[in-house]
Amino acid sequence: MLREQIEKLLPLVKSPSRYIGGEFNSVVKDKSKVDVRFAFCFPDSYDVGMSHLGMKILYSLKNKRENFWCERVFAPWPDFEELMRKNNIPLYALESLDPVKEFDFIGFTIQYELCYTNILNMLDLAQLPVKAKDRTDDMPIVVAGGPCVCNPEPLADFIDLFIIGEGEEVNLELMDLYAEMKKKGCSKREFLEAAAEIEGIYVPSFYDVSYNLDGTVNAVVPNNSHAAKTVKKRIIKDMDSVYYPESFVVPYCEIVHDRAVVEVLRGCIRGCRFCQAGFIYRPFREKSSDTICRQTKSLCETTGYEEISLSSLSTSDLSDIDETLRRLSEYTEEEKVNLSLPSMRIDRFSKELLEQIQKVRKSGLTFAPEAGTQRLRDVINKNITEDEIMRACKLAFDGGYTGVKLYFMLGLPTETDDDIRGIAELAEKITDLYYQNPNRQRGKHIQISISCATFVPKPFTPFEFEPQASIDEIKHKQKVLLDSIRSRKRINVSWHNYRVSILEAVLAKGDRRLCDAVYEAWKAGCKFDGWDEFYNYDAWMEVFERLGTDLDFYAHRMRSYDEISPWQHLDYYVSKDFFIRENKLAHEEKTTFNCREKCSGCGVSKAVGGACFGKN
Amino acid sequence: MEKINLRAVFEKSGHAVFISHLDLMRAMQRAIKRSKIPVWYSQGFNPHIYLNFPLALSLGVTSKTEFMDFAVTEPCDYAALTETLNKAMPEGLKILGIAEPVFANKDIGFAEYTIEFKSDVPSEEMLSALENMMKADTIEIDKRSKSKGTVKLDIKPHINITGTETASGLLHVFVRLPAGLELNINSNVFIDTFAALSGIDFTSVYAERTKILCLNGENFR
Ligand code: SF4
Repeated sequence: MLREQIEKLLPLVKSPSRYIGGEFNSVVKDKSKVDVRFAFCFPDSYDVGMSHLGMKILYSLKNKRENFWCERVFAPWPDFEELMRKNNIPLYALESLDPVKEFDFIGFTIQYELCYTNILNMLDLAQLPVKAKDRTDDMPIVVAGGPCVCNPEPLADFIDLFIIGEGEEVNLELMDLYAEMKKKGCSKREFLEAAAEIEGIYVPSFYDVSYNLDGTVNAVVPNNSHAAKTVKKRIIKDMDSVYYPESFVVPYCEIVHDRAVVEVLRGCIRGCRFCQAGFIYRPFREKSSDTICRQTKSLCETTGYEEISLSSLSTSDLSDIDETLRRLSEYTEEEKVNLSLPSMRIDRFSKELLEQIQKVRKSGLTFAPEAGTQRLRDVINKNITEDEIMRACKLAFDGGYTGVKLYFMLGLPTETDDDIRGIAELAEKITDLYYQNPNRQRGKHIQISISCATFVPKPFTPFEFEPQASIDEIKHKQKVLLDSIRSRKRINVSWHNYRVSILEAVLAKGDRRLCDAVYEAWKAGCKFDGWDEFYNYDAWMEVFERLGTDLDFYAHRMRSYDEISPWQHLDYYVSKDFFIRENKLAHEEKTTFNCREKCSGCGVSKAVGGACFGKN
Repeated sequence: MEKINLRAVFEKSGHAVFISHLDLMRAMQRAIKRSKIPVWYSQGFNPHIYLNFPLALSLGVTSKTEFMDFAVTEPCDYAALTETLNKAMPEGLKILGIAEPVFANKDIGFAEYTIEFKSDVPSEEMLSALENMMKADTIEIDKRSKSKGTVKLDIKPHINITGTETASGLLHVFVRLPAGLELNINSNVFIDTFAALSGIDFTSVYAERTKILCLNGENFR
């Protein structure tokens, strides 16, 4: 039993309650009575991982099955990791405190590229070989899912199989298969072969990748008769009947999103051309107002949370949003629960919505125009106009707000200095609007904060072909922006670290040859790359240099439409033809209708058998 | 709205000993909300469940004598209330009883602890190390205070050892320490001081708070 050893160390570390389990609603089973044990690993800290909705869904879903036991595992913060290593405590799961190396499955959910080194580090902490080929039959099967596995190639050496698409059905199928084959005493290889036959399962070792002389991919070919030529993602058809947890594990320490969350819809009708989520989660499917209200009530009652949030890529696109909010606020007011509404679009911003938002907290409002001029907003298909932005700001100022936060991206395809200056102009116009508004808060000045991310081209978007701007270009753009802001006192500008975005771009569009770089970076001590205090740019660059990895090739190169991408054997139903069409439209500065207005034939509808929306 | 002030005695053990004081507040609020008892909310723009803990407990310490003040909006049967609350409590937190408060926070003067020291060193050796420590004229520690920064404090006169017991590899110390507004010495200060002065490498130390007393010596309730 590790308990005693762990408890002895806990008084020495920050926020110890996250390492010992026992939280309300956590599921403890008798291990002698279950067939399959699954260690669900989130490759980041407890505070981040416990906020993640997908993990909560799959945790409850698996535990609902009597013969499965799913437990939670997070990356220990470096202070505790050091003590674990010193005292030879292997990575363990929070429910049983058993080492994860004794489990049947170790499953990672991969939400962002910057956690790749943490995956290796966790496997190593588990006292397992990090490379799949070095793990023997008596060791757990290591699986991974989540948005990043739409291009899992930079992790191909470390993971036995990837789960492509939505996990609710396929996870259970996989565990059922395992339970059956475990009884028969099958080998790992036999299991992987059988698993590869399940739709949505990608076993990377069953594919050979060859390259052209110029470094691009020549072909990805199955080397095992059980592996399909292309692996299709899994889609849940009906959101009202799909499993949703009745309760969440309630943490003791404060986590990033410390509240109950109801997922109200999946997918997005918008098709912003930079947004990977907008394409890989297609099609748009929503829950009925009845379902949303029922799930809200259940979660509030079983957790005791004082806040509930509606989650989706764009909550204001819910068909009966007004009716749903009316019914929800009836309940939440009665129960003294706060209702928070992230992911609201500017063009759907209304007085009613504003009032609802204000009930919870009066902190700043956030809008995401993403680009400073209409021209560039058309290029990225962010279908909002300056008028709509102004109208939303006016409503906010009428409602007593004295500040807004605006999100932009720098380095978008076709961007010119004029577009950058457009960001400043937009901010100045909002400032003017504020001072001209007779309804504004008297005696208060406005504060606008502009937050700029660097554009990272992602697979499965119309911009997957595009190069990322170079460090010099970004520096130039930052200077142009700063130079064009007049009201420095009222308008404050900040940016994400470009050195982080470049690693994201390389890993996002990388191929299998990057596995070595990920491995070497981890060996060099890289972990928690998503955390400013740990990100070690120089170490990564040193590794890339040593291995001869050409960053320009991965991140800063325009890829031709007919180049075979490293992820071409994975099928998210949105066709490459559609992405090419959309890319061309972007360069012509032409927008595309949203899915509710008109279907643009992206290809997803065939996966749901017919039209995505009743009529189109 | 009617407001009836109540005081619960509760147990903190198992996993729950690693819940910090701040987190305990949240955990209790959530448990109370789940229990659906007619709890009283603070009034205002953003109502919250009113809770107050008269005396904080250090991280890692077990106790069956913790207090929590809250209020209800209608007269309740205390036994039934206790039962309802316990159904909603996380593992390691348990309400032992509910009554109306008698004393105020400022009346608290002392707390008593049972501390188990475990070591590879024979228990007699641990005991004589403790006796040696207590024979000294002064036991000076660095104490942080909000206004003066770090100050030297002689805790010797404030440590009241009421008994000891030894078993193989174990030393149990029963100790009373000040826990008032004027002076508060928590059990970890005593443990750390003993560890530092004796130089003994303890394999584990378990502390349990057994009593909270008023300045006048009466049990706090
Ligand atoms: S098939 Fe048409 S409606 Fe469906 S997601 Fe694609 S573009 Fe939108």
